[in-house]
Amino acid sequence: MKHSKHLYYHLSRRRFIKGSLAAGGVIVGAPAVLKGLTRQAKADYEPGVIRFRAAGTTATPGDWSLFEKETGLKMVATVEKDDPGVFYNDVMVNDAGDRFDIYLSLAGVQQTLAEGGWVLPIDGSRLKNWAGVSSDVKDIPLLKPDAEGQNWGVPIYMNADTFGYFPADLDEPRPPDPVSWGLIFDSEKTMGRVSIDDNYFSLSWAAGYMKAAGLADISDSANMTASEVETVADYMIERKKAGQFRNLWNTYDDQISNFVNGEVLAMRCWEPAVKDARGQGLDVVYAVTDEFYIKWMQAAFIPSQAEDRNLDEIYTAIDWLLGGGYAATLTPLRGYVTSRPDLGLEYAKEMEMGDDVVASMEENLFKIEVKFAQPEFWFSGVPDTLAEHERHMARFKNV
Amino acid sequence: MASGARAARSRRPVWPLPGFGPSFDTRGKGLFVWLPVSHWTVYGFTTVWVLGVLVPLVLLVLFSFLKTRGIQFIFEPTLRAYLDIFEYAGWPVILRSLRIAATVTIIELIIAFPFALWLAKGTRSDAVRLTFFTLLMVPFFLSPASRTIVWRVVLGRNGLVNSVLMSLGIIDEPVDWLLFSEPAVHFGFIGPYFPPMVWPIFLSISLIDDELLEASRDLGGHPRHTLRHIIIPLAIPGVVAGIVFTFVPMLGDTVVAHLIGGGNVLLLSSSIYDLITVMNYAAAAAMAAFVLALILILQLPLIITIRSIGGVNEIFASLRR
Repeated sequence: MKHSKHLYYHLSRRRFIKGSLAAGGVIVGAPAVLKGLTRQAKADYEPGVIRFRAAGTTATPGDWSLFEKETGLKMVATVEKDDPGVFYNDVMVNDAGDRFDIYLSLAGVQQTLAEGGWVLPIDGSRLKNWAGVSSDVKDIPLLKPDAEGQNWGVPIYMNADTFGYFPADLDEPRPPDPVSWGLIFDSEKTMGRVSIDDNYFSLSWAAGYMKAAGLADISDSANMTASEVETVADYMIERKKAGQFRNLWNTYDDQISNFVNGEVLAMRCWEPAVKDARGQGLDVVYAVTDEFYIKWMQAAFIPSQAEDRNLDEIYTAIDWLLGGGYAATLTPLRGYVTSRPDLGLEYAKEMEMGDDVVASMEENLFKIEVKFAQPEFWFSGVPDTLAEHERHMARFKNV
Repeated sequence: MASGARAARSRRPVWPLPGFGPSFDTRGKGLFVWLPVSHWTVYGFTTVWVLGVLVPLVLLVLFSFLKTRGIQFIFEPTLRAYLDIFEYAGWPVILRSLRIAATVTIIELIIAFPFALWLAKGTRSDAVRLTFFTLLMVPFFLSPASRTIVWRVVLGRNGLVNSVLMSLGIIDEPVDWLLFSEPAVHFGFIGPYFPPMVWPIFLSISLIDDELLEASRDLGGHPRHTLRHIIIPLAIPGVVAGIVFTFVPMLGDTVVAHLIGGGNVLLLSSSIYDLITVMNYAAAAAMAAFVLALILILQLPLIITIRSIGGVNEIFASLRR
């Protein structure tokens, strides 16, 4: 049978070598092509447009129309997973600074970025709302990791996290009465009906509970030593084998789905998830506790690539995030505390945004007094023994 | 059947959707007739292959033998990353991933082969084929997460299955293992990986000349013998492709393990992702390289099977006869 020349094309060795050399030329030239594509990405910058890399869906105030009205800038927000590793990858490997003008991420991640020259130091004099930010907020060590005390990030919003639970189903008190983190880690009432973060962060939450319950001697739950991490992971594995956990959540939608689909009775989660679930008619509340709060802060960072690009616009945008409009929109929607809650309250009253908005702004004052006053613990998301955390979390997940 | 009618039918293109796809027929006129027949076609494919597949794989293997500090690779050869795989509970993850992928692939093959056989030879209606092609394709217009997450509503504690079982009095309490468990992950994989198993088997069976099947029947062959001695051997390229298209992507799937497994079933893809997020690129590369090596080793039984029936060239030549 005669084979088709389309399928059996004869290729001599000499011809193949010549062709391969040409292909090699293409490979050698590829970096230039890729560089061209990067330049194209840089060219995506448009004057008057702020490209915002937000961490997690809850950073956005619904829509940005108020921002656009009050600043005259256009906002293009991209929501990424709230994970320091993902953020580092994007900034340091994928040149996110070419594509974004502002990063929002957990305060505490910036030390590596500052050391590597990936972000710019903050010039507070360019922000009119900066001077009024409480020194309890802007001077915390999370924001000033270096010896010089230079500020590398602008605190935008923060919270003191706990967990959500169904008080009626569990016969537990409602806030402001405190409950124990034992509902998450060690309770017959919630056995098999608990969800926690699918992240090494969970080791720090378990450490906080073990420390409060006197189960282990841990110096800093947010920055454990390798042996402390191992002790905590052993405990979590023991609880997992006992059947404590229903699942591990990964995204905000997972959290909502766990509540709405009746998978859990208690879940370590974000406060907005509880607000969302309550909005759907569920009797779930966000815990007040005497044991510890996970205090975290989302800060804005300026990529070093923006230095000669659009710094004025970037400072204008960050100043708006510090202002009353953002606070009066974000706080009622998510329950988060912004850096200038005073401006938020003022704005809500001035703009006659309604009693419920004013009430939620005032509720935040309680949160600041009660929750943020607890000593345990500020969380940066990047412990010194990061690799150990990941190794032991993998061990936990693998059981 | 009259020989004239047989001849007419054998000339009919097997490609089932007139106007779609390449001119793909059984007469041996060429697979990709629109491509220019020149050595540059070969070099073009070679270049794309080298750039898109080989170079990343070579770099992956190279990185797996290096140290990392932060995001930087240090060019000192070491096996540290391979030792890390075992410290990161790698073996159980690798074995679990291979076991689940192999089990689901076998289930898919058992379901897909008869379906593909019926679609290719059991029905002569283009309308029926078109309907089934559409049904197979429609879910792929949705994102993988969207088409997977619906199972949570069906399989969850308050889901459809538990509700029905409880209302029928079969169970008193919701069954927990329907979701966030290993059986649930097996189930979750079956839907998305059914079409990749069906398509290649369907194509290879479609290419079998009907005259061969009729000759078998005319010679008194039982349908079982026709299946065993004609259809299965000639469908082997499709079966092999189906296994590869099903098994290999399943190893890289993060959606099902996440949404259906709920973090309780740790698979390779999630492990590699976790390693990347903590910037342990060398260990992630080592784990990926290890899987690559395993996949290559697993090709051996397939190669041996194909050789035992004459090799790929012989099979394609048979299909063109």
